[in-house]
Amino acid sequence: MSLKAAERAHLLALADDEHMVGARHTNWIGLGPFLEEDLAFCSIAQDELGHAIGLYEILLADDPDRNVADLDEFAMLRAAADYRSCWLAEVECSDWNDSLVRHWLYDRAESLRWGALTCCSDGRVAALANRALREETFHLDHAQRFMSRVASVDVTGKIAASIKRLFPIARGLWDELATGDPVGMDFASRSVGELAVEWEALITDDLKKWGVDITLPDGNVATDQAHRTIRSDGFGAFHADLQRVILLDTSAVW
Amino acid sequence: MKTYEVFLKKVGRDEFRHAGALEAPDSEMALMYASETHARRAEGAEMWLVERGNVLVADAAILAVNDDKPHRHNDGGRVAARRKEQRDGDER
Repeated sequence: MSLKAAERAHLLALADDEHMVGARHTNWIGLGPFLEEDLAFCSIAQDELGHAIGLYEILLADDPDRNVADLDEFAMLRAAADYRSCWLAEVECSDWNDSLVRHWLYDRAESLRWGALTCCSDGRVAALANRALREETFHLDHAQRFMSRVASVDVTGKIAASIKRLFPIARGLWDELATGDPVGMDFASRSVGELAVEWEALITDDLKKWGVDITLPDGNVATDQAHRTIRSDGFGAFHADLQRVILLDTSAVW
Repeated sequence: MKTYEVFLKKVGRDEFRHAGALEAPDSEMALMYASETHARRAEGAEMWLVERGNVLVADAAILAVNDDKPHRHNDGGRVAARRKEQRDGDER
């Protein structure tokens, strides 16, 4: 084992976020507002799942009790309490406007998180971060371009309502796992606290740039999320859905 | 929504080739979508997009004039047939 406990926890939180948000995004396959958008959004979902796989592989290769062959089981069959995803990644967004706002809030944060890992002392993590960040360029472009076009003409107020609903949940994304020692600067070049401040400034700048006059809610649900150890409402059904196929035959080799 | 025609070119001396079309609300979004709809498996290293409304479309009648001009098909077939005929004659 070469990763310290805090580093493992840091990577697991990112991995589970990528897994959950990628899986949630895939709900839109075939349902996007038009074909080109459908394809783009599903590509983003695939990329996020790819990031999760990359991180799970690193974590499993570093785990004395497991190996990379356990990836599917580790990804899908853990007990709900053992996941460390944030609520923003987990919550159901059954309206397109909610999904779009989640995508923007999440990818704004994800780019910062991967950016802090590009010079990671662990070469495997640094290589994955550099690859993920290249894909993030497209994700962020997509989120900003789409949002800039709909948020500025939000006559129905749906986008504003989604921001008000999801922004407090999104703040919980920055609740670092409580593992004692924080992750060192050699592992992640910027602390979670620093990234959270920059993220909020970027979100505020985006809204200003798009002419969206909205007061961001003050609330912070991070404490409710209790360091990512408590699952959000609806996680049970979502998790059961994720497991539906793998549980058809747990001995099958996929 | 507008329709855009997509052209891709691979690395090297290949020419740009028509890859298909897509719909997008504007040019910026069209460029973004095109990379996923037509080049998501690295089908090209360079890409052109042309809004369909900007394509100059020829009158089909102008092209139809050239339908029946076999003498312009200088693929050498008639010369080859004649030489074969001569060879066969010599052998006899």
